Amino acid sequence: MGYPERWVGLRNYIYLANDDTFHAVVRNSLVFTVASVALKVGTGLLMALVLHATWRWRNFFRGLLLLPWITSTVIIALTWRWMFDAFPGRGFFNSVLLDAGLLTRPIAFMATPEGAMAAVVIANWWRGFPFFGVSYLAGMQSIPVELYEAASVDGAGAWRRFWHITLPGLKHVMVVTILLTFIFTINDFNIIYVMTRGGPGTATQVFATYSYEVAFNALRWGRGVTISIYVVPLLIALIPLVSRYLLRERTA
Amino acid sequence: MRAWKAATIIGLVAFGLTVLVPFWWIASMSFKTYEQIQFATSIYVPRPFTWENYTGLWLDTRFPLWLRNSAVTAVVVTAITTIVACLAGYAVARLRFPGRESVASLILILYLVPPSLLFIPLYRVLAELGATNSLWSLFLSYPTFTVPFCTWLLIGFFKALPTELEEAAMVDGATRVQALWRVLLPLAAPGIVASAIFAFTLSWNEFLYALIFIQDETSITVPVGLNLLIYGDVFHWGQLMAASVITTVPVVALYMFIHRWMVEGLAAGSVKG
Repeated sequence: MGYPERWVGLRNYIYLANDDTFHAVVRNSLVFTVASVALKVGTGLLMALVLHATWRWRNFFRGLLLLPWITSTVIIALTWRWMFDAFPGRGFFNSVLLDAGLLTRPIAFMATPEGAMAAVVIANWWRGFPFFGVSYLAGMQSIPVELYEAASVDGAGAWRRFWHITLPGLKHVMVVTILLTFIFTINDFNIIYVMTRGGPGTATQVFATYSYEVAFNALRWGRGVTISIYVVPLLIALIPLVSRYLLRERTA
Repeated sequence: MRAWKAATIIGLVAFGLTVLVPFWWIASMSFKTYEQIQFATSIYVPRPFTWENYTGLWLDTRFPLWLRNSAVTAVVVTAITTIVACLAGYAVARLRFPGRESVASLILILYLVPPSLLFIPLYRVLAELGATNSLWSLFLSYPTFTVPFCTWLLIGFFKALPTELEEAAMVDGATRVQALWRVLLPLAAPGIVASAIFAFTLSWNEFLYALIFIQDETSITVPVGLNLLIYGDVFHWGQLMAASVITTVPVVALYMFIHRWMVEGLAAGSVKG
């Protein structure tokens, strides 16, 4: 299987440190992760605020909005790939834009490096934001109403109440959701593999997809593992941090 | 106040549409003919409405076999996971032994180690065991992520239940196993069902391990099979979407059944006070 095994010392690490593709992989992984997490935090907060203000059918809407989170990522990735598609059987966005007269001919959204990155970020965001929304809603529901009443009496407007009561009250759950999602997103495989296979070129190649490609297509097992080992320092820094937060609330 | 109400409704509609449009796209495309899809006619609603993707998928592809493989895997993995997670969760929640807190953190850390880090070494191990290319590779590998996750959930559920009932049972002469089986597990049933459904969903949707460990087309699961419906540049979109509908429905049905518990389980994992 692959090449014969022999001791090579740090050669795989040094090779990757000087490999342009690997530099692109690191950059892409960070862009993909930071953009996805930032979008999820923003829309998650918005979703939680909307659900918190919903006075009827809140559980129904919460259940409905959580649907993407339980759907297979492969199906989500295939569906979004098609929705962004230009041809054949043009996708959703081209159909809407053409019918609205905003386009005269279909655009291949995922053919450019930026377009492909935006597409995988959007698909990943769509799958993940409901988890943030539901978690933040639970956080908001645990903030005592008296705090808001007292602030209103003291003349604080909606924005100040949000800034000084809601956000500090959500600090704990925000740290947990951001760290958890960061860990899983920087190691994501499914969405990118199904939507772009890392392309066009290496524009969306990330740690997991590159590691797969090097190990299973180029049959360089050692180098494939080395790629994932490069993520380990980050995990060693983040995992104990998340665990501490999660364990603290268990024992409290 | 009226402005806030309007803003809330606009928000609900916007979020509802964001979530529903892709699902509607899947469902409506699954009922279109090949020509409707190829030539992009009747984009929004299938006209005429056809079942040909479903019959084609069922008769001309190996989808039924993939569905069976996914179901067998999910059931076996859920069974293994539930037994191990109940016992492990009980041990951490109730027994006093040195290093109990470290075991709890270790379980959590195991859950946080991403599969993308483990797939190459796991592949080598499974190949040595001769388990690759069969569902055994999945029975053996999926518990590496379902067991830590479900144990973590169950520790929380068990800890939240009062210990007095079990103690009373043991004072009355029940053994520890009887106290677990007759007292704690029935009380924790909602949590156990929720964790079992999580395990089922995780293995039903898993892709990376299934893609790597199994090459034989008769042993693959649905998520991998879906990628085989793409031949080079030819996408059998109608059949793909029909397969997506068939694959998503069981999970959504299970989920509607436990939605409340699931949200509480989620909340127990990430927020509490």
